[in-house]
Amino acid sequence: MHPILQSSCALATSRAEARFRIDVPIEGRRGARVVALDDGAATLVRRLAHEPWNGARFYTLSAAPDGAATGDDMALYRTSGGTTRLGAELADGDVTVMIATRPGAAEPTIEAIGRACAKRGIMTAGIVLGDQDRLGGTVRALRPHAQVLLVTPDPQDVAEVLTAIRA
Amino acid sequence: VLKKEINDLLTQTGPGTPMGEVFRQYWIPALLAEELPEDDCPQVRVKLLSERMIAFRDSEGRYGLIDEFCAHRGASLWFGRNEEGGLRCAYHGWKFDVTGQAVEIPSEPENSNFCSHVRLRAYPLVKIGDVLWTHMGDPAKRPPMPEFEFALVAAEQNYTSKRWQESNWLQAFEGGIDSSHVSWLHSGGLKNDPLFKGAKGNEYNMRDFRPFFEVADAEGGLFVGARRNAEEDSYYWRITPWVMPSFTLVPPRGDHPMHGHWWIPIDDDNCWAYSFDYHPTRPLSDTELAAMRAGHGVHSENIPGTSRPMANKDNDYLMDREAQRRGDTFSGVKGIAMQDASLQESMGPVVDRSKERLVSADAGIIKARQKLRKAAVALRDEGTVPPGVNPVHHHVRSAAVVLPRDAAFIDSSREALTAEPGKPHASV
Repeated sequence: MHPILQSSCALATSRAEARFRIDVPIEGRRGARVVALDDGAATLVRRLAHEPWNGARFYTLSAAPDGAATGDDMALYRTSGGTTRLGAELADGDVTVMIATRPGAAEPTIEAIGRACAKRGIMTAGIVLGDQDRLGGTVRALRPHAQVLLVTPDPQDVAEVLTAIRA
Repeated sequence: VLKKEINDLLTQTGPGTPMGEVFRQYWIPALLAEELPEDDCPQVRVKLLSERMIAFRDSEGRYGLIDEFCAHRGASLWFGRNEEGGLRCAYHGWKFDVTGQAVEIPSEPENSNFCSHVRLRAYPLVKIGDVLWTHMGDPAKRPPMPEFEFALVAAEQNYTSKRWQESNWLQAFEGGIDSSHVSWLHSGGLKNDPLFKGAKGNEYNMRDFRPFFEVADAEGGLFVGARRNAEEDSYYWRITPWVMPSFTLVPPRGDHPMHGHWWIPIDDDNCWAYSFDYHPTRPLSDTELAAMRAGHGVHSENIPGTSRPMANKDNDYLMDREAQRRGDTFSGVKGIAMQDASLQESMGPVVDRSKERLVSADAGIIKARQKLRKAAVALRDEGTVPPGVNPVHHHVRSAAVVLPRDAAFIDSSREALTAEPGKPHASV
């Protein structure tokens, strides 16, 4: 083993040395996409969309006539207004957060989002609001497509997660 | 990312702070029982939650945890004499019993009642398993005794060690619920550590470096499930329970003992890592005990007579770049405990969480911080008892299981995640 400089970690990790850490503002994440999978989630997502975010975009599932289309052509409704396509919204995305509050989430929709994200190397997360027993089907549907799944009774967790990842 | 005021709220545990009050709701480890091995043995200095105390065991085997400093002139009772049912200050001979009550003040007349008016702050100190536990909160709200399985199994089934970590408690604790670092930082340990190696689960760990995570709320804290591909139709789940405020269990490997940690604040810049191994159905073998004492697994090799690791910040954790190059260790630091500690201490005593970039895979940490913050605020504003105080919340286990791909890890593992005396652990 090579000799090591005595106390180098001891000095570097001190409270005093913390003052000399490079202090550059951290840019927010620009590519967060938040999709409400049901009506309850849509209400929450619409409310959250009014808060200040770094670049997060919020969507509900479109009620448009071609809403049944899947894959990149799947229609999403922007909370800011207007219909858009999944593929277009993911073009510069880096994480997609799917929110569910009810049993019986649409598996084809989740699968379409999951596959579109996987194809582009976009991280996926699912937040299921409610009781694990009641929402087991929704959790099962999300499991293959959400690399991170949070099952929680607390709606505030959605904002917590988005804030933590600088969405 | 945490704003400074939230980071302060979570990391400051001195008297009167919201998180300090949270910790004062629980029975927490104060010392290893072996630190006070016999009646009238030398007393030990103890600092917990930014309060300095002295622990001693009197002539009748009673344990005491009292203010370190004599009520007379403030001299440390560490210099005192532990004799004849109390601790006598070396300066002027004032003597205190395990409740902090002054029992002799030699300078006062023999029939003076002055003694009865002098009392040092004292906390209970109770032996359960190989740990001495204390409750530093309001005696009127003292909760039932802890019922963690590691402390309740027979003595020959458990081994607990203690390590001084030179960082805030939250940094250390967060490592305990962060399963995604295992395949990287501890990859060497999965191959070489006598308390980890040889398990089938290790193969799953090393084949899949991109685990999926599920975080599920629990009454006492959280369950964090890390899911990796096992066979074509199954997943390998490693399930880590967290019981508030800072108790975590590591998912087991094969028939190796189960292990876990309690992180206890010493002050805002330091904490104790209490690390334990226990087997729920059999005594630990001599080989296992020897490995634990040598600092393998979750334990550390400490400087003899102290709780300071041999590898510490003063010697750059005995960094071995050759071992790193060979792949024996991923970071160059030997031992799982010190691999964690070195990185957590490298952040500085209290990391500035406004500068971090969390990702969604950190959901367990995000949720845990939220639960801690809510508990601190609810206690401060409404007097709400935090989760994890109720001993029922202590009856948890970690688990490592292979489940069908469509199985919910909580539902399928509920039995495995519940501690019951003599029940085998669920491990792969």
